[in-house]
Amino acid sequence: MNLKRTLQTSTLSGFTLSAILIVTFLNILLQNIPSSVQRVGDELLKLNTTDGVSNAVTTVVVFFRGFDTLGEIAVLFIASLGIGLMLNENKKCEIKAESNFMLKTASKLLFPIIVVYGIYVMVYGHLSPGGGFQGGVIIASAVMLLLISHKNFELSHSVVVILETFAGISYVFIGLIGLLILDVFLANFLPHDVSSMGLLLSGGIIPIIYIVVGIKVGSEMSMIAQDLIKRENDV
Amino acid sequence: MIGLIILASFVGIVVVAFSAIVQNTLADAIILFMGVGLGSVILFFVFGAPDVALTEAVIGSGISSLIFLMALKHLKSQP
Repeated sequence: MNLKRTLQTSTLSGFTLSAILIVTFLNILLQNIPSSVQRVGDELLKLNTTDGVSNAVTTVVVFFRGFDTLGEIAVLFIASLGIGLMLNENKKCEIKAESNFMLKTASKLLFPIIVVYGIYVMVYGHLSPGGGFQGGVIIASAVMLLLISHKNFELSHSVVVILETFAGISYVFIGLIGLLILDVFLANFLPHDVSSMGLLLSGGIIPIIYIVVGIKVGSEMSMIAQDLIKRENDV
Repeated sequence: MIGLIILASFVGIVVVAFSAIVQNTLADAIILFMGVGLGSVILFFVFGAPDVALTEAVIGSGISSLIFLMALKHLKSQP
């Protein structure tokens, strides 16, 4: 009886939600009949040349939408916090099967290569495709490989906490320095000449912020993976 | 050639997505979901968005599939 009632309610709310979504979508579609083509991208590309970063996507993500990226990192932190709270802290998962020796050897061989590639993607985020998010997750996937293949491997909790705290605080700190010097939060206070575009040391604070984002994302994703793989669930 | 790649990956995405929702076991559906991510990586790259392609390859088919698989393991271990 109870189950039937919940099922009906959820079906009804599902239909209502999809109807609202379809109406909204049609509304957007009908209002934007291509009488006036929007050209935000061209404006952003024009502005991009003033910052001396050759990858325009990085300029948009880190500089024009820098505050937004701070919010995204906060969302990721809350997600990892939720996963950590849901799983039992003291009860370790019992993994009975020992990994194949080929998997063990291959993961030991691949781990440094994947980590170096992740650091490359992270550091060269303002020159080539990639950046902090992608590089951080690549490093986390290397850690994940070791977590799956080695039964007793575990990350040190305190090291991850120190890395993540350092990264989060330094992001806000860089923004506050910009507020002090140029009266704008996350302002580009370091030298960013257009003449140095394409060099590793260019773009002022943009590569620094992306490296910081990469450290934070990598440590959070590694902790999520470790919690899910090694801990028993509480509920 | 490029048009052929676009068409093949598009049809592949649709086929893999449909076969993912008709699977009986959840683990098979998750593996096919990784295939959807792979097809969209090719599409994003061909349409000139390498940043998005990298993000999709790493997050969409890498991390999120692992999180799904581990959540499945936790669901199964529940009494």
